[in-house]
Amino acid sequence: MPRTSPPREPGRRAVVTGLGAMTPVGNDVPTFWSNLLAGVSGVAPISLFDASDLDVRIAAEVKGFEPRDWMDFKQARRMSRFSQLAVAAARQAIDNSGLEIGDHNRHDIAVVMNTGGGGLEDVAIGEATYLAQGPQRVSPFMVPMLSPSMAACQISIQNGIGGPVITSVAACASGVQAFVEAQRLIEHGDVDVVIAGGTESAIMPISFAALANMGALSKRNDDPERASRPFDATRDGFVFGEAAGVVVVEAAEHAEARGASILAEVAGGALTADAFHISAPEPSGRGAARAMQRAIADAHLEPEQVQYVAAHGTSTPLNDATETRAIRAAFGEHAERLAVSSNKSMLGHTLGAAGAMSALAAVLAIRDGVIPPTINLDTPDPECNLDYVPNVARQARVDVAIVNGFGFGGQNAVAVFTRYD
Amino acid sequence: MSQRRAVVTGLGAVTPVGIGAEATWDALVSGRSGIADITLFDPTPFEIHVAGEVKGFDAMAYMDAKDARRHDRNTHFAVAAAGEALRDAGLLGDDGRVSGDVNADRFGMVFGTGIGGIGIMLEGQMILAERGPRRVSPFLLPHMLPDSASGQVAIQYGLRGPNMAVVSACATGGHAIGEAMESIVRGQADIMLGAGTEAPLVPLAFAGFSQMRALGTPRDPDTGEYSAPMASRPFDATRDGFVVSEGSAVLVLEELEHALARGATPLAEVIGYGSSADAFDMAAPAERGEGNQRAMRAALLRAGIGPEAVDYINAHGTSTPLNDRFETMAIRDVFGEHADRLAVSSTKSMTGHAMGAAGAIEAFVCVKAVVTGCIPPTINYRHPDPELTLDYVPNEARAADVRVALSNSMGLGGHNSTVIVRRFES
Repeated sequence: MPRTSPPREPGRRAVVTGLGAMTPVGNDVPTFWSNLLAGVSGVAPISLFDASDLDVRIAAEVKGFEPRDWMDFKQARRMSRFSQLAVAAARQAIDNSGLEIGDHNRHDIAVVMNTGGGGLEDVAIGEATYLAQGPQRVSPFMVPMLSPSMAACQISIQNGIGGPVITSVAACASGVQAFVEAQRLIEHGDVDVVIAGGTESAIMPISFAALANMGALSKRNDDPERASRPFDATRDGFVFGEAAGVVVVEAAEHAEARGASILAEVAGGALTADAFHISAPEPSGRGAARAMQRAIADAHLEPEQVQYVAAHGTSTPLNDATETRAIRAAFGEHAERLAVSSNKSMLGHTLGAAGAMSALAAVLAIRDGVIPPTINLDTPDPECNLDYVPNVARQARVDVAIVNGFGFGGQNAVAVFTRYD
Repeated sequence: MSQRRAVVTGLGAVTPVGIGAEATWDALVSGRSGIADITLFDPTPFEIHVAGEVKGFDAMAYMDAKDARRHDRNTHFAVAAAGEALRDAGLLGDDGRVSGDVNADRFGMVFGTGIGGIGIMLEGQMILAERGPRRVSPFLLPHMLPDSASGQVAIQYGLRGPNMAVVSACATGGHAIGEAMESIVRGQADIMLGAGTEAPLVPLAFAGFSQMRALGTPRDPDTGEYSAPMASRPFDATRDGFVVSEGSAVLVLEELEHALARGATPLAEVIGYGSSADAFDMAAPAERGEGNQRAMRAALLRAGIGPEAVDYINAHGTSTPLNDRFETMAIRDVFGEHADRLAVSSTKSMTGHAMGAAGAIEAFVCVKAVVTGCIPPTINYRHPDPELTLDYVPNEARAADVRVALSNSMGLGGHNSTVIVRRFES
């Protein structure tokens, strides 16, 4: 999409200047990051609804979220929780970047806010109202509230951003795709700044019932903090979570001109499809490997330059073994030298927000020279034989990190973050 | 290196006026409405009972029975329209999958939808309430998420390139085609489907639209008699709302050299794409279509053409009082004097508003208009609105030398997308 003024030179570099996080382990970036490094689990018994008749009763919820701290009360009531979380995280990220938004620049800023499902909560509420009280009692705000694009719209409306506003959905790969898209928008000179990220909130009975019946969820109800155990031999499924993560992605020259501090560079990315099955990954990990290779090539790097892989690592038996094979296929011998960790061990699987969670981890790992661990990794699995940074964070210089996101239906997205110099 | 160009080499459509691209086009240029009484559910609890349903559609003609049973209607439409478009482009092999001659890793799609599998979601919700959590289908989530159509199309036809579903309410279809075009121009892929699909005709969604007080009244404004097709009357002074409809349209976009090398016929070229946000309100459009103006200007700039090069605008034209007024103002502001020389029609007068599929259906119309030199009309147009003074191609199709056509789409939340297509010229 072109900007309204003539485009500048193509090939501009995209850098990160601000971060925002609403997560199961913290409602701001410093808390999120210190808890990830300390190996704190955000998984607990479900509190957002009565889950007593469900097989799975644990989740990674955002705790103590008060929408009114972040937005007008009336507006908050007309937003689904996935939009509220996104608006809050975007507020943090924009403040963190020091970006002032006004008439001088509002059309040269885009929003790319992805999600897996959108306002499913409001579909359920609407249906209950419809059945109990009839169609005339259904909220006139239901349709806009449930629309998956509404988180992006609300960020645009709340902040007066008038450039392209885009929501793309690729199930669990959605959050990573946002950065691939953001980098393209900057590189091609369409806009100067992209508010990019992912959001998800679907902690409701139907999601837990459906995912549990798929056999996708961990049933460790009695041991919630140890339920998400990516790459561990005793893993039995993922823990469903909610979160929003937002990153301010900006043209390097634009960031430098306004004296912003640059945290990292978004260097490239790629999307591929397995074209295989609606929920299972293609077993060789071919599509996922291809996405990693293409993303690294897109960033003009060699696989040997990558130090850290923020893995998709869901804690399902199939994903973790397939992803391990895919990493080996993409990196060859260099796979032995990679640090590969899954923050889902602490955050659960936040679907459309998961890629944004890993992007935050990648940027902060580059900034601070420390890699968050995969917790609950106690029993090695012979099929998962990489260095998963088990249980304890590790000091290590990270210049190049990749973020993996693989979705239902075989959608693969990989983004590359690098140290900016 | 010269700029990569994205040409259209195949079309597919499943719409309320016909199943298949030819059937759809014949109906549109004949001025036939697809709006009728609702049959997909019992509409008696509602004040307004009309919609643009796809009629006589049998999913099993396009997918095997097991897949058809599990998937939502929006995915059925997507698979059907994509199959037609792939065949039209000469890309399907005998086994019904993409032929071995093209690199499937460089063949992807942007398949948009406004809402995804809401029918499946509501079935699941009903089962949860009546029979308990253990009876909920394990396939519920992968089949109701908005990207399940794009996933299933990739699986069924074997397309392994970049794959995503964009969502921007009623602006979705334009975004999908524009993003697909950009993927080709940027070199991420050689062939992309740019497409939209929607199946929102379930009681709950219909209740939501009804409650927004935005639906058109199915009554002849002159005689007062009941008339389903009259519910959609874009740009008419008596217009009072839109008609919910469903369907899908698919454009095969292909890099020009790639198309020529395999002997395909380029039908048209997608030359422009613009996108903007109103940053104004969740439901109402911004004054004078300010956001729509910026999207149109951005698309013209991207296309490298002036406003005077445009011959035809397929308007968003929903038939709501506000949309049609603001869109007219936006067209006047962007096109200046040339606005009086433009043909502007709303095919929603016949198809109704297919939400996330609308922009794709209307881009399909633009391609057909530049290929055939025929402009489909705005039907049900009888009472000129003194404020709305463009040439809306009232009631009868028109033969015209259409070289460049523009499609506008706008969505709840203030999304705007504009796509421009040009007759193919080497």
